[in-house]
Amino acid sequence: MTHEELRDLLPAYALDALAPDEARAVEAHLATCAECQAELRGLRQVAAELGTGVPVVTPPAALRRQVIEAARPRARVIILPQRWGLALGAAAVAVIIALAGLGVALDRRLAAVQERLAAQEQTLALLASPSAKTAVLAGTVPGNVRLVYDPERRQGALVVSDLRDPGANLVYQVWLIAGQQPESAGIFRPSPGRPLIIPLSADFLRYRLVAISIEPGPRGSPQPTTTPILSGTI
Amino acid sequence: MAEPREQEALEAGILARVGRADMTAFEGLYDRYGRSVFSLALTMLRDAEAAQEVVQEVFLDVWRTARAFDPGRGSARSWILALAHHKAVDAVRRQRLRTTEPLDEGMANHQDVAELAVAGIARGRVRAALEALPAEQREAIALAYYGGLTQREIAERMRIPLGTAKTRMRDGMLRLRGILGAHYEETER
Repeated sequence: MTHEELRDLLPAYALDALAPDEARAVEAHLATCAECQAELRGLRQVAAELGTGVPVVTPPAALRRQVIEAARPRARVIILPQRWGLALGAAAVAVIIALAGLGVALDRRLAAVQERLAAQEQTLALLASPSAKTAVLAGTVPGNVRLVYDPERRQGALVVSDLRDPGANLVYQVWLIAGQQPESAGIFRPSPGRPLIIPLSADFLRYRLVAISIEPGPRGSPQPTTTPILSGTI
Repeated sequence: MAEPREQEALEAGILARVGRADMTAFEGLYDRYGRSVFSLALTMLRDAEAAQEVVQEVFLDVWRTARAFDPGRGSARSWILALAHHKAVDAVRRQRLRTTEPLDEGMANHQDVAELAVAGIARGRVRAALEALPAEQREAIALAYYGGLTQREIAERMRIPLGTAKTRMRDGMLRLRGILGAHYEETER
């Protein structure tokens, strides 16, 4: 399509009324055409006027909490790059303990390569930790889930791979069990095809079991509401 | 109340902070736009639950992509409303796929939505601008924007050739811009 033809599609593009292939052609052209960018700016203002002209209805207050909760950085979950999945084991134990121990504040930029390298370096220094132990979780669903922990440092982490998505609006919740009352140790959702590490701080010697159940998201439950799908002996 | 130009700079600043993962700025952004996004989605979907889902999708997307926002390409307000409209149109099209009613009834429903939306326009300036359009241009724009129909669907609905539907929509939008444009000129200075 020519510049003129694409420019003529901008009003419909601003109204989201183009077929997907036309919209893609317009977007490709917009990337390099300053004139069309300026044209779209004015048309989007018109569209925004149409959008804000409708009668105002206040959404439920609970929606605000849900929106903000959904955006809150999952500070305690580390998503590893795929290639680390092969070497999850001793290295993972050390990374986890290093990160948890250092109390690294993890935001969504942690995935940056530099920080990963720094974490790897710190890991190497701690690799020798002789007191680290592993508990393998097993149960009713396929998945590769281990708790690696250092009872002396009271630091550990759950290493999760190949666990399928729990379903829309559901999360996995981790429980540490000493007596009758399981204690929540955090919630997570798996990331398809990528291993996850959930750092945990606890006096592991107090507990006899670690378990995972499926709970309503995004906050999980104060006590398990479903039968654990995976558990392991500490 | 800040002047429009200051308002625009302020909102671009909030969006820039959201781009740097500033949670307080994100909450502020929701407080500014949550209601507008919800109201638009509710007008288009006529289903409060579906409208809430749209709000969630929109703000999660804003949170993830605010870094890519370029104030040179338009105001924060236009950007968020465009995103909201895009998500709401997706939801309208999903809603349509799920309903098993005959096509004609489905289409009639979209026309109702569009007509009700135009009738419900509360802001005087937008209302006056829409009323100044020839009826066929107003209908084409309402079916697209509020009804979530594509150009092709509008042509079928209005029983006119595709080229005519495109022309009506384009002429109507350029005319609206002309009418509403005087206001933008003021805010640009």
